[in-house]
Amino acid sequence: MADNIVIVKNLTKKYADKKVVDGISFSVRRGEIFGILGPNGAGKTTTLEMIEAIREIDGGSASINHIDVSEHPQKVRYIIGVQPQSPAFQDKTKLKEIIELFSAAYGEKVDPMEMLKSVNLEEKANEYVENLSGGQRQRLSIAASLVHNPKVFFMDEPTTGLDPQARRNLWDLVKSIQKKGITVILTTHYLEEAEMLCDRVAIMDQGKIIALDSPHNLIKELLGRGFKKERHVEQADLEDVFIDLTGKKLRD
Amino acid sequence: MRKSLFTISTFARLNAKRFFRDKLAIFFTIVFPLMFLFVFGTLTKNNGTVSFNVALINQSNSSFAQNFVDQAKSSKILKVDKMTTSLDQAKEKMKRSQLDATIVLPKGFGDIVQGADYPAGQADVYYNENSKQGAQTLALILQQQFDVVNARHIKTIAPLSVATKSTQSPSLNRFDYTFSGLLGFSILGLGVFGPVNVFPELKKQGILRRFHTTPLRVWQYFVANVISQGFVGLFAIAALFISSVTFFHLHMKGSYLTFILFVLLSIFTIYGIGLALGGWAKNERQAAPLSNLVTFPMLFLSGTFFPRYLMPEWLQTVSGYLPLTPVVDGIRLIVTEGKGFLDVLPQMGLLLGWSVIIYLIAFRVFSWE
Repeated sequence: MADNIVIVKNLTKKYADKKVVDGISFSVRRGEIFGILGPNGAGKTTTLEMIEAIREIDGGSASINHIDVSEHPQKVRYIIGVQPQSPAFQDKTKLKEIIELFSAAYGEKVDPMEMLKSVNLEEKANEYVENLSGGQRQRLSIAASLVHNPKVFFMDEPTTGLDPQARRNLWDLVKSIQKKGITVILTTHYLEEAEMLCDRVAIMDQGKIIALDSPHNLIKELLGRGFKKERHVEQADLEDVFIDLTGKKLRD
Repeated sequence: MRKSLFTISTFARLNAKRFFRDKLAIFFTIVFPLMFLFVFGTLTKNNGTVSFNVALINQSNSSFAQNFVDQAKSSKILKVDKMTTSLDQAKEKMKRSQLDATIVLPKGFGDIVQGADYPAGQADVYYNENSKQGAQTLALILQQQFDVVNARHIKTIAPLSVATKSTQSPSLNRFDYTFSGLLGFSILGLGVFGPVNVFPELKKQGILRRFHTTPLRVWQYFVANVISQGFVGLFAIAALFISSVTFFHLHMKGSYLTFILFVLLSIFTIYGIGLALGGWAKNERQAAPLSNLVTFPMLFLSGTFFPRYLMPEWLQTVSGYLPLTPVVDGIRLIVTEGKGFLDVLPQMGLLLGWSVIIYLIAFRVFSWE
């Protein structure tokens, strides 16, 4: 059996008798990028928050690196990094101070400049966070989540609201995080993002996982059932045109 | 433990730094109480001297009457309303309590009496029923002045006289109460109004929930905030103190060390209330009504704006147990009465008792989102 770093069994969350997450089970392999795909309200964020030990687990269990999440939440917090859906920071704080603050939360001292350099923000080290663009704030947030070199990195819809250039830049960043040996679990509702980034994806709807495999296998399986697209598929799409015209250079 | 200390000191340091970059926070914590100080300080500045708002209507054209008017206008006791020239106007203003009394010098007042060489006449003092006391005092003062003039013209003997003598022990003046009250007000502001606004906002933006994904503990976060707020509070109190000494002649009678320790304990206790309210509330709408409910009684009953000795006895007893009351009392005892550390032990004991209760509640009800 492959080395699974995250194991989720029968995970359940109820809000007023409605099961938002309905007994889902899956495992994430060490070192992979794992995507949870699904429409809004499918239960993606709630699932992540239960595994991250910030939302109580109503049923089932989750473990990270063989540590049970509901039994030892504090131990779990030391080995995970969390990128929230819309990262915000206290204003009147400089970027390098944000890094100091987060490393202090883990009781560690890191070199803020080095962390900022890893996300291309070293020039902004002395600026206040309120002067950042959306993409820059995402990157700062990633740097802040990785100060303690976690084993698993959670990202909740990391590219929502970003322009195509910033999104591509973030994809590269996620891949470089994977190269450092960090397991990445992300949610998204952009399908091309899942196809581009993820080694495996779980598709969630109405609190249940309805499919789980690599993007390639999922497509192959669908085609194997005799699926044909109604429209002829072009070799390029509008986004390719946009990137070709405006370039890949980051704008923020 | 060393890791915890590092966590706490980093959070406290960056918190304090943020405060001094935030102009709005500086305004509400430091400048706003200073404005109150200047308003109340100026209001209580000329205490001890009595003065009357009067209209002076001179119907005489004698030089003695003219002389009297000139003297009255430069008098400190009389504030002569120069706009009022007729008795009817004056009566109207007295009705609205804009004037305490009206002095009328009738025709022929101060003319030299035939067959003598001194002036004579009768000045009339008009008053309303609600300013009877003031008018009678005014009449007495006028009579005294006339007596001096009379004595110059007609020799009399006065075997009985009254002299006033000071006991040489100054009692508390109104500014002493104003000062300790304003410090209490300032501590209430930075201890409660600040965190009650800040924490729900941090929750709304998900900033606290983000810290919750890290190993940061609630008590570490609390201690860091207490330290930074205590530091900021010392600045605010120092600004009030220095202004009071410079502009309102406040005399610091007690020890500075006792004063600083007492102020820190006060901030610690009162800030606990803010932490409990702000830490509990999920949003501003939850925080505002409860914080008003908690702070209003203290604002009016703890001696911040008017001294507690003016209240009925039962209310003094009840309000004595409010957390802000020992703050105001202790500061007054130390600063204006020069009491030492041991003398304010009852106040410190009450504050410590409240701290235990308040922080137990604050830990219980705190939520990260």
